[in-house]
Amino acid sequence: MNSVTLFSIVLTMIVYFIARLLAVRFPSPLTTPVFLSTAAIILILVLGGISYEEYTPAKEVMTYLLGPATVALAVPLYHNRHVLLKKVVPAFAGLTAGTFATVVSAVWLVKAFHLSETMAASAAVKSVTTPVAIEVALIIGGDPALSAIFVMVAGMFGAMFGPWLLTVMKVTDPFSRGLSIGTTAHGIGTAQAVAEGRLQGAVSGAAMGFAAILTSFIMPWLFPLLY
Amino acid sequence: MKEGCLFLAQLLFLWLIYQLGLIIADFLHLPIPGNVLGMLILFILLSTKIIKIQWIETGASFLNKHLAFFFVPIAVGLMTYSHLLKESGLALAVVLFGSSMIGMAVTGGLAQFVSAKSLKKEEEGSVGEQRHSL
Repeated sequence: MNSVTLFSIVLTMIVYFIARLLAVRFPSPLTTPVFLSTAAIILILVLGGISYEEYTPAKEVMTYLLGPATVALAVPLYHNRHVLLKKVVPAFAGLTAGTFATVVSAVWLVKAFHLSETMAASAAVKSVTTPVAIEVALIIGGDPALSAIFVMVAGMFGAMFGPWLLTVMKVTDPFSRGLSIGTTAHGIGTAQAVAEGRLQGAVSGAAMGFAAILTSFIMPWLFPLLY
Repeated sequence: MKEGCLFLAQLLFLWLIYQLGLIIADFLHLPIPGNVLGMLILFILLSTKIIKIQWIETGASFLNKHLAFFFVPIAVGLMTYSHLLKESGLALAVVLFGSSMIGMAVTGGLAQFVSAKSLKKEEEGSVGEQRHSL
């Protein structure tokens, strides 16, 4: 392992732990760990003259456990299975309506700003987890790389401002909060939902999965209707 | 030492389930990513008691707690898209922020509304039954 890679790994871990502490000490959308850590690391890399290509080997090492970490969401899901079974109807209603709302509004907003159809198709899939977003974007004429960025930014917005919006709207029910975050902000939102509570994390993880399935089924016919 | 080994074994086990999810999703051409399928597989294995929760709890809780960490190195990739930010950054920010917040408001609002309604119905139902038994 070369020194830049080692530096990048140590840097990322230290920044992440500081961000976590700050999030507890000063809770605010701006201290959301995934946002604050990312912003700080980008700043340090730019100032240190390290390119993303040089950071990439470190990224490969550190994201190795992302897959198993997603699988591990089955544990809080299992602990809360009784609550989930009771809430099948509200879960289905919220997830379906929310998925349609976020897709339709994304496409319409792109049109309002006179951006390209490729942008619209790439933005339409922004609420679901990256591997699914890329596949679906290809089917409807989007750009996979662009979709991956939109997914990331949407997740970041969701993690930062979602809990705040839900609180303002007086959505206090932990189940509904988790469902909302997972449906629109996939894994990045789920990471934040886990920090909020075990039930929120469990529901968010499951919602992320079902939103991905639903989106891949509806998008091929829904997108042509919208654009 | 023993605990450390056990912890690593749990991570390895979760990794194996993840690989299983990837293989099955690929093989059956499912519209679900391997990681989500892996989550469903593990959930089924736990619910059917084929796997005991104690076998994986420590490792899984650790990964859950630090889920955000794994997204950070990926999100750092945003640094290569400063040109997009310059060209249409503001419009895209409004699109992504606006549609995410609309989706969240609809999902959360409706889910809470429907569950509150069904809860009320349940309560009314049980009150009705009580009256009936009186």
